[in-house]
Amino acid sequence: MIRRTRGLKDLLWIFALAGLVAGGFRLWFGLGATTNLTDAVPWGLWKILNMVAGVAISTSGFTIGFLVYVLKLERFRPLVKPAILVAFLGYGCSCVALLFDIGLPFRFWHPFFMWNEHSFLFEVFWCVILYFTVTTIELGPTVFEKLRLEKVSKFLHRIAFGVVVTGISLSSLHHSSLGSLFLVSPGRLHDIWYSQYLPLFFILSAMGAGMMFIVLAKILYARLYDRESVFGPRHDPSIVILSVPGAPAGNGARPQAGRDMPMLISLARIAASILAVFGVLQLIDLLVSGSWRAIAAGTWESWLWGLEFMLLVGLPNLLVWNPRNRRSPTAIGFAAFSATIGLFLHRLDVGLFGYLRSAQEAYFPSAAEWALSIGVVAAAGLAFLFFVENFPIFDEEWRTRRESLGIFQAKFDSLSRVWNTALSSGPERTTVIAVFVVPLTWMLLYPPFSRAGVEGIEAAAGIDVTRTVLCIDGDRAGLSTEFPHAEHQTRLGGEASCVSCHHLSVPGDETTACFHCHRDMTRPTHIFDHSAHTRAVAVSEELGGIRPANHSCEFCHYTGEGKSAESARSCLECHAEDSDWVEVPGAQSDLAHAVSYMDAMHGTCLDCHREEAEKPGQEYLAECSTCHRSLSRQPPPQVAVGTGH
Amino acid sequence: MQAILVDVTRCTGCERCVEACIEANGTDPVLAQRDRARTRDGLSENRLLSVPEVDGDRFVRTSCMHCLEPSCVAACLVGGLTKTPDGPVLYDPEKCIGCRYCMLACPFSIPRYEWVETTPFVRKCTMCADRLEEGQLPACVEACPHEVLLSGEREVLLREAHRRLTSGEADYLPRIWGEHEYGGTCVLYLSDVDLDALGWPERGAESIPSLTEPLISKTPFIGLGVMGSLLGVNWIIRRRMELQGSGSTSVDGVNADTGPVGADDAAGSVPPGDDETQGRVEA
Repeated sequence: MIRRTRGLKDLLWIFALAGLVAGGFRLWFGLGATTNLTDAVPWGLWKILNMVAGVAISTSGFTIGFLVYVLKLERFRPLVKPAILVAFLGYGCSCVALLFDIGLPFRFWHPFFMWNEHSFLFEVFWCVILYFTVTTIELGPTVFEKLRLEKVSKFLHRIAFGVVVTGISLSSLHHSSLGSLFLVSPGRLHDIWYSQYLPLFFILSAMGAGMMFIVLAKILYARLYDRESVFGPRHDPSIVILSVPGAPAGNGARPQAGRDMPMLISLARIAASILAVFGVLQLIDLLVSGSWRAIAAGTWESWLWGLEFMLLVGLPNLLVWNPRNRRSPTAIGFAAFSATIGLFLHRLDVGLFGYLRSAQEAYFPSAAEWALSIGVVAAAGLAFLFFVENFPIFDEEWRTRRESLGIFQAKFDSLSRVWNTALSSGPERTTVIAVFVVPLTWMLLYPPFSRAGVEGIEAAAGIDVTRTVLCIDGDRAGLSTEFPHAEHQTRLGGEASCVSCHHLSVPGDETTACFHCHRDMTRPTHIFDHSAHTRAVAVSEELGGIRPANHSCEFCHYTGEGKSAESARSCLECHAEDSDWVEVPGAQSDLAHAVSYMDAMHGTCLDCHREEAEKPGQEYLAECSTCHRSLSRQPPPQVAVGTGH
Repeated sequence: MQAILVDVTRCTGCERCVEACIEANGTDPVLAQRDRARTRDGLSENRLLSVPEVDGDRFVRTSCMHCLEPSCVAACLVGGLTKTPDGPVLYDPEKCIGCRYCMLACPFSIPRYEWVETTPFVRKCTMCADRLEEGQLPACVEACPHEVLLSGEREVLLREAHRRLTSGEADYLPRIWGEHEYGGTCVLYLSDVDLDALGWPERGAESIPSLTEPLISKTPFIGLGVMGSLLGVNWIIRRRMELQGSGSTSVDGVNADTGPVGADDAAGSVPPGDDETQGRVEA
């Protein structure tokens, strides 16, 4: 028994620790550096998978409570405690993941005091917090019994019914509200998934899949700890192992199924019915609203929807209602697993995939996102196993069986023994080392990946190797700008002037963008701000008078010469030290003379245009509206670009 | 209520307005210039205003539309976004917790997030609310050299827009974007090309809060209703159990083997909703 769970636990520990490391990265480096979220896809794996789907799969707490406490279907009572445990852990998981997801985790308490009752997210927040408290209270008796605090436990028992009813009401509110969250996106969410009935769809699918999940949990528990209860008596285990979905079952040779199977079957059938209702309502909605056209369109979204529908509605119903599967825990487990996966897919579709088309962006979660997402769930899995092994969750006779079967004897009774075991036996050594080494390695190897890194302007393919002219396609729009590289180089001072643009000018930038020099759009020069200089000179020279700025002219413009940019003092005379520009003797560079962006851009076209416009019948080539078509009321003449060459 | 009218036919895409915006908001011009090429519509946390190209040769000033019934204001769970009576939709960084629901809720995908920061905030156009208060024009309007942008009372601007539409000054499409869409916006557009590509909906699409508000205002009653019907159903079932005299009457009875109601039902025929259940019990 210990052996059976050890591999699983080691795996869970690796994931959980990796998740912890990822959480550390996220807090240290920030959201942008650790996730692949963008402005167009602001909600990613942590919100959709851990919160929206994680909360939905934990509905078992309220559905089983409803069946047992309200409808008084006593045969499901054995599942009450597991269901509450699943709800407690599921909601805990979501809250933890959410803490890492919000941009300012230290402000998690804001919604307690700052209210906006028009917000569905506000409602979800309160219901989730309150319901988490409810599950804690519901879980209380089990824990307090174990801790021998009978009075507390008795008190909690007495208020159980009220607590359960409160819990169900809260649940029905926030499970539908999780769907309402996406009502705000009629234009952005894909037609297949957007519906005004999203709240109804969300609560129905959550109820069905939540019940299925508790069936799955029970079957997995039985597989690990309590085989007979579900898989039948032990004497012929091969039957159990070999029973595949759809295989002929109950053909005489088969012993009776486990004592809990009828209960699981009936629960699975209730769940499947709810999922079927969900499926039918969804189909009706698709037909009525006309969104079925989006499915018929055959895009990847249609196929995704088909897969989701098959997993969430189709497969579970097919498996559960097939009479041959009545005694096959594997088939029922498979149905439950399919519904669980289907629910996750449905939530990801609505919250994530459905947005990608309008966002015009692809999103794939980063390693840190995967690690934290899975890590939180793995930690919940470990907590689940801990509770199951130490508290009477699944059955009442756990105390007696625990000794007789020797299930839970792995005690850390002395440090040396654990150490010895860990280091002496082969498989244990590997797993223990792996548990610590894998996350640690990742931590050390982790590249502090940051999307803030500036992408340099790259020369497009097909440039001349001498780099006399570069074709720059800055926005990757397929249109290139010619950059006379060699000409810039000579003018700015030859080889020594490289550093003026490359490597040093802007931190983290390898090449300087054109606008860094050609800053101004329309003025002749951009770099030099004349009025700022007159003011600055006047202040620094402490000139007197009503308009001291007027007396500062002579500082740059030598008397006796015309006041022009050419005749003025060179910029580098003052700015040699506080500039990145190198001073090259004899170079014609003057900072003041970088032409405006407009002139620089025009320069690549205008010379040729003006030349061509000289020819008869081509006068329009020199007009602004020929290129800037928005300046013209008339449609532009059909220009064959490059005539005359 | 203050608004901005954008005449797309007059814009040459010179981006003077963007320069002015960068200066007014104190963002980094170098990063802003970089983001122009890096993002889809040119908007980023460094460029709260952008002039993306539509249809090849039309330029559309794009930023927060300052909706009359803003989706983001309804969405923010801490009330960090507000619609001021003066027109602008304003963001309060003191309240924000960084859930980014406003970004998901905005039909125009306008709010931007400071992803690279470790304590990030949302950034978006404020319509220069501080300048408006001092009686100045928004920075972008002031900077525009081609009279593309007009600022003023929304009613006045709408009248002007209708006047231009009827006067036929340019080949306007017969529509004022922002007059009714999503309940109306404070940034209005006249254009001779379609603006669908920038997230504009069908003409006259209803506001997003009008989709959510009817539902959320009923929330407390739904909750109470569910609670009431649960108690009702439970009372009926208990009553029946007592009448049949076979069930355990204790609420918490452990393993009352087969409840008289549940046991003989074909499993799976239990309908999910409360009302159906009630109907079944009484039937």
